[in-house]
Amino acid sequence: MSAVLVVHGGAWAIPEELAQASVDGVKTAAREGSSVLRSGGSAMAAVEAAVRALEDNAVFNAGHGATLNIDGEVELDAMIMDGKTLASGAVSSVKDIANPVSLARAVMEKTSHAMLTGRGANLFAESIGFSTVPADSLVSEFERKEWELRKKYMKGVAEDFKLKLAHDTVGAVALDCAGNVACATSTGGIRNKMVGRVGDSPIIGCGGYADNLIGAVSCTGHGESILKVTLARLILSHIERGKSVSEASQLSLQTMGDRVQGAGGAIVVSPSGEWAATFTTERMAWAAVEHDVLWFGLEPNEKQKEMLHQ
Amino acid sequence: MVTEMLPVVLVHGGAGQIPKERSQMSTSGVCSAARSGYLVLQGGGSSMDAVVEAVTQLENNPSFNAGCGSVLNITGEVEMDAIVMDGKTLASGAVSAVRNIANPVQLARLVMEKTSHACLTAEGASKFARSMGVPEVPQESLITDYSRMRWKKNLVPDANPVECQMGKMGTVGAVAVDAEGNVACATSTGGMLNKMEGRVGDTPCIGSGGYADNLVGAVSTTGHGETIMKVTLARLILFHMEQGQSAEAASDLGLAYMKSRVGGIGGVVTVDPKGNWAPRFSSLQMAWAAAQNDTLHYGLYTGEHFTQAIDDPH
Repeated sequence: MSAVLVVHGGAWAIPEELAQASVDGVKTAAREGSSVLRSGGSAMAAVEAAVRALEDNAVFNAGHGATLNIDGEVELDAMIMDGKTLASGAVSSVKDIANPVSLARAVMEKTSHAMLTGRGANLFAESIGFSTVPADSLVSEFERKEWELRKKYMKGVAEDFKLKLAHDTVGAVALDCAGNVACATSTGGIRNKMVGRVGDSPIIGCGGYADNLIGAVSCTGHGESILKVTLARLILSHIERGKSVSEASQLSLQTMGDRVQGAGGAIVVSPSGEWAATFTTERMAWAAVEHDVLWFGLEPNEKQKEMLHQ
Repeated sequence: MVTEMLPVVLVHGGAGQIPKERSQMSTSGVCSAARSGYLVLQGGGSSMDAVVEAVTQLENNPSFNAGCGSVLNITGEVEMDAIVMDGKTLASGAVSAVRNIANPVQLARLVMEKTSHACLTAEGASKFARSMGVPEVPQESLITDYSRMRWKKNLVPDANPVECQMGKMGTVGAVAVDAEGNVACATSTGGMLNKMEGRVGDTPCIGSGGYADNLVGAVSTTGHGETIMKVTLARLILFHMEQGQSAEAASDLGLAYMKSRVGGIGGVVTVDPKGNWAPRFSSLQMAWAAAQNDTLHYGLYTGEHFTQAIDDPH
């Protein structure tokens, strides 16, 4: 059993102009996360490193480059979970923080709580000397323009997703050499969301879940749909009942499509090292590292590989 | 096992160790809430209407840790969480860390029905409340002498607010099945005694504080929030029911798992679409009451199950 890391950069109809950057971005993040694993680092440290790389990359809807809410501001959600202890940390609707996944980890490790929201989350960040950045620095030109367009035409969330222009969430799952699994998910949420809207990403069992006895999952897609079926926990319940990581993911996404007409994607890793990247949207940028091989894809059924050191 | 589906509403007022001087208030509070929920069902209301009514009553009752009577956060203020879920559509509405409103469960329902979202937090939740014409109430109207006293007591460095809280001030919740076989759940709380500002527990997290699915059943949970979240207790119980366990057995399995895996205790109210119901808890006590078939059921300690005709004064 060797260490495994899988990352995703969002399940949605990624447009051509963002396709290459998305694939490059997930590959870079996968390399970052897997180097943590290779030097003996924990699954927790690996998923945090991978998601930080995605948050710092303005092409993804997390941290830098996050989509704007209806008031034109960035509000971020993130979660991280440790499969060994089932401990988790999450933040919702936090502002001026470049790496919410790290703040989520701090919630887990430095407080007796599992989730902090809004101003409280920001006060906590201040209290531990967690650096804040000016609000503007998180806003990309692309998102500013998109917000202005939306404001003009007042399109709703559901239409947005149907129009397949919704930007999306990032996440990672990992299995380390000690056999521990972890997950992390981070997002700016849905474009033009109401102020204070919280989606699936920071909600345990929905945006992600990790349990050393079953596996770790990180989800992406239409947040409100993922919440309805508690997608991460649903996938793991199928694995508990004997399904493979791939079957469990497909079944659960199918359920989400059938019952609540929602599309999305999920990455999964099991304690024995099986992994899968599955999606029901047009595209999902994903990458995985296992045994010095870097796998990646964008289109359905696409699975390309490169040697890690090339 | 009921052969004919009988609508039911089942409420809880918190799991833990309720001191004797408060147990009467807890018991009469949940009985009153169950009766109110039942009246709604009898009048043709939906299970969603019934759970929201029952929980509204408990929020308005200063004896419970929800709405008025909520515990205070570390700065001495009230921040509330709530969730509702509709088993028919799997739609849900939740609010977290919301201030200055009397009935977070109603605001949660408005989130579900009037927005395309499922959860609003803090300032955003307040903004939405204002846009819906929900009256803003002063902090003072939500704070009781009891909650203030508990807050002060737990400001000392060696205090143990978690232990202090269990049961004395309980999260409230309800589940119901209506005449059409639709299930619903609702949960509401002021959260953890002396919590950090902005702390969100299990209550507004779908799958943890509650879950409802017409194909399986509905659950509302209470106990130590961070522990309930670790095992997504509501969803866990329903997974067991999906596998064929009864409401009672599934609840016990979920609670036992929570205890053995992460050392937490709590309580749940669970119902299946056929009207079978179970109030179960791993703590010493949980104030609960159910109304079905013109009968009021209630209890506090493990094994207690009192009944009386619904119209008999309590």
